[in-house]
Amino acid sequence: MNIIGKREPRVDALGKVTGAAKFADDYNMPHQLYAAVKYAEFPHAEIVSVDTAKAAALSGVQAVLTAKDVPGSNRFGLGGDIRILADDRTRYLGDVVAVVAAESRALAAQAIDLIEVTYKELPAVFHPEEALKEDAPKIHEQGNEIVHHKLRRGNVEQGFAEADFILEHRFTTQAIEHSYIEPEAALAYPDEQDGFVVIGSLQNFYTSHKAIAAALDLPLSKVQIIQSTMGGSFGGKDESATMLAARAALLAQKTGRPVKMLNSREDSIRQSYKRHPYILYYKWGCRYDGSITAMELKAIADGGAYVSMSPFVTWRSVVQATGPYHCPNVKTDLYAAFTNNNFTGAMRGFGSPQVNFAIESMMDELAEQVGKSPLAVRLLNGFETGSVTATGQRLNHEVSLKHALLEAASASYYGKKWAENRLTKNKSNPIRKGIGISCAYRGVSLGAEGVDAASAVVYIQPDGSVNVSSGIIDMGQGAQTAMSQIVAEVLGINLNRLRFLQPDSGRVADSGPTVASRGTIMGGGAAKIAAENVRAVMEKTLREMTEQEQADFLFENEEIFLKKGNGKGKRVAGFDEVVARCYAKGRPLFASGVRHIAETNWDEETGQGDAYFTYVYGANVAEVEVDTETGRVDVTKFYSVHDVGRAINRSMVEGQIYGGVAMGMGYGIMEEFIQEEGQAKTLNFDEYYIPTALDVPYMKAIILENPDAKGPFGAKSIGEPALEMAAPAIANAIFNATGKRILNLPANLEEVLLGKKLRRKTPRASVSCKIGPL
Amino acid sequence: MHYYRAKNLKDILNLFESEGDRVHLIAGGTDVLVEARQKPLPQDAFLLDISQTADLRHINEQGQTIHIGASVTHQELAESALIRQSAPLLAQACRQIGSLQIRNRGTLGGNICNASPCADTVPPLLALNANVHIAGLQGKRTVPVAEFFDSPYHPLLNNGEVVSAVSFAKLEPTTRTAFYKLGRRKALAISRINMAVVFKMTEEGFLEDVRLAPGSVFPAWHRVSEAETFLENKKAQLSVFEEAGKLVADKMIAISGRRWSTPYKEPVVAALVKRTLAIAAGVYKGGKL
Repeated sequence: MNIIGKREPRVDALGKVTGAAKFADDYNMPHQLYAAVKYAEFPHAEIVSVDTAKAAALSGVQAVLTAKDVPGSNRFGLGGDIRILADDRTRYLGDVVAVVAAESRALAAQAIDLIEVTYKELPAVFHPEEALKEDAPKIHEQGNEIVHHKLRRGNVEQGFAEADFILEHRFTTQAIEHSYIEPEAALAYPDEQDGFVVIGSLQNFYTSHKAIAAALDLPLSKVQIIQSTMGGSFGGKDESATMLAARAALLAQKTGRPVKMLNSREDSIRQSYKRHPYILYYKWGCRYDGSITAMELKAIADGGAYVSMSPFVTWRSVVQATGPYHCPNVKTDLYAAFTNNNFTGAMRGFGSPQVNFAIESMMDELAEQVGKSPLAVRLLNGFETGSVTATGQRLNHEVSLKHALLEAASASYYGKKWAENRLTKNKSNPIRKGIGISCAYRGVSLGAEGVDAASAVVYIQPDGSVNVSSGIIDMGQGAQTAMSQIVAEVLGINLNRLRFLQPDSGRVADSGPTVASRGTIMGGGAAKIAAENVRAVMEKTLREMTEQEQADFLFENEEIFLKKGNGKGKRVAGFDEVVARCYAKGRPLFASGVRHIAETNWDEETGQGDAYFTYVYGANVAEVEVDTETGRVDVTKFYSVHDVGRAINRSMVEGQIYGGVAMGMGYGIMEEFIQEEGQAKTLNFDEYYIPTALDVPYMKAIILENPDAKGPFGAKSIGEPALEMAAPAIANAIFNATGKRILNLPANLEEVLLGKKLRRKTPRASVSCKIGPL
Repeated sequence: MHYYRAKNLKDILNLFESEGDRVHLIAGGTDVLVEARQKPLPQDAFLLDISQTADLRHINEQGQTIHIGASVTHQELAESALIRQSAPLLAQACRQIGSLQIRNRGTLGGNICNASPCADTVPPLLALNANVHIAGLQGKRTVPVAEFFDSPYHPLLNNGEVVSAVSFAKLEPTTRTAFYKLGRRKALAISRINMAVVFKMTEEGFLEDVRLAPGSVFPAWHRVSEAETFLENKKAQLSVFEEAGKLVADKMIAISGRRWSTPYKEPVVAALVKRTLAIAAGVYKGGKL
């Protein structure tokens, strides 16, 4: 390999460090209008009437739109139920009833206050278990059950009967905010031919494209989406960002002028979807030797006001609900329910962090019950190559779970520290040390969720410089660099020849969403095929140049050599020379590549099938210090081991791991999106706490490489694995330190000290308390 | 909206005179600007910036008294050799406020006038028996910091008055002090509970002149005389400190009743009183803080 695996600088680094990078709000146009939104005033209410007359009459206001002004489809999303503008009802307080475009932001805000909405308030429900009761208020006509996934394997009754003892716990996990640094923003404007252009901070711009075109009642070809440089997303800029971009586009269509819409942080947190909170009832049948005879799970996810990604998020939970452990008898029932909370959707991890927290806590508990070390129990039950999962899938690739566990344990001296921390010496100090281990496996890419295909285009310009475009987007994770390295490897050229073009709905074929840690394996796969297709054109020319019809060539260090066996033969030409020859012969070097993988299947009734085409494996170890008098948890060290198949860029893989650990730690001990009666209480980062640089521990990233047949150069995934098992490692470390099992995330001060959360019933202490009525 | 940066105290008083109620003082802006985001200032507000006011920017000693101008920033206090030597607990408190950016903007005067129940500089000032110096159209006055607060977010400051400085007697080199802050993270954290203690210790290890000031514990700022009296002339040992902690927790419940946060705060306030006293006495044996 010339460039694969190297610590190459990111291709987008220069723009980011110089400030030249243009984020969505950096785009402005002459005659641009500014948009503002009118929020729902009740979490659940029928909209009786909306009076926009006064707002529309305000000088400088160019348009006021409500749902009835939407020419096309006002609803979008997986369930077709997310309203661009609330039509029949409001279902959460982030719903938007009307939008305004005005000559200034201040005017737009002023107009919003003049809109009068008459509501008929409806009974609301904020808890998913209550929402599933028969007499609960119905949030949508079809009832409150969004989905019920099942998995049936073996016979759980028999499995429990064979068990020596049963472990049972109720776990809860919280809603969290994605906390991308750049809030949603978009600029929409009419183009020259009756169509519209939207420049936006959109994670899944193909999905946004369809929703926006449908709302404007225009064919896809007349709506162009340009994805601006993104300041983070973590799964968060799908429907939330689409709503905002669609509202801007509708206003641009109505006024014929460019319209800018920008969410403040408060807007963003109020409107956007969150990670699903789960309630998990886990029951494991276990033997005294530490093995597992059966697992039963009933879990309920709070889906909030709309379907969004609930069916897919909970599906991944079902597939992975037994963890990477042998279990012959499994019964899983996973529900998602509508409530009048913020809707919940995709977020880095996508249904795995919730179950992983519970599974890995139970595995620790199992070890405790049978008097073994948590590592030993995992090694006893863990998957190996050829193991069969709960869905009946045989794992035919290299299953490196135990390798990852052993690496994590040895790097951290887990066994020694785990035993030491249990001694009374540690217990006599109010601040106690703890160490915890976790592991997980994860299905790569979309799996049986849907069609899995991605495209890329490689264009070698006549001077030998190269443009690469892809339908997989870079939201900060480094997709452009990974794809560039793959193209450079195939063509044997330096990275500085490559320039990545901003994604655009007309440039590359629909590649599906950039989600599910599929960027490198699918987008990189497509880029590799595109580069190979271009290289094939060059090889045709090379055969003519060498007059050897059967020759194979080696592209290396900007030169092309004849292949001699598996080695390097005679030099044929420089890269530029071959490019020039191709163009001289009328062979432009432009090709696309499509990577499509369709090796998954699923039976909805039994939950059996080959859920994903391949899996990744990892293990984490966390070290903590727990203040047993205050409940304060300090994560001091973190070891994160991941088999990524092949590291395309080691620095970027490490970056993903560090970021994943920090985010997973926030999920574990700190972050919580709090709503009271549907009202968001943590609307900005003064009250929504995420870890700061000082909170993040010393981190050690360990990369394992077992190249996978499905991935480009063997590469698989790292984005979500990096986060998904961090929280239980910390929770298990807290147990090691204190003997207390954390059952509810986050393990904040109150949870660690009291084993429960405390809820404020009075106004909050900071700003709102001061400026509100006392 | 008007904005004016006052050069000196006279400037401030002149504008109080000419602009009256329109005047909104802004020192560092770390509270004013955050609040304005939720509740905009009135259209005709006159924002009077006192962060660069020359006669509010001093840290000095006059005889046995330390004077700190109201517009001295937290970072300046944290770094001041004089403060670190003569009132180390105040320097410690300032060092733990917000982040470096906030410490560079936020001021001592701003922190006490905002009068948040979790302000980090107030417990040290209470424990230091500090005085608040106020300048106004009606002349100057000085009040003990303990009498400066009415209720949360309501300092006893009249219209046309500005806090010009804070002063307190230098601590003797043998005086023991400690400040402890419990937040939900290591930076940019609003104090869940904070605690300041000052006392003298005899050679035999007995406590004298004990001052104990918890923060985020009572609705209005004050020290805990019950615990202070209890500790007077007691031996500096953990069992005594534990008892004092219970007295403070009892006092909290006596004043505020049992609230949503009591199940947590009751044991933790007690533990942190004990811990802070133990740190000051040099008998704390816990892990790193």
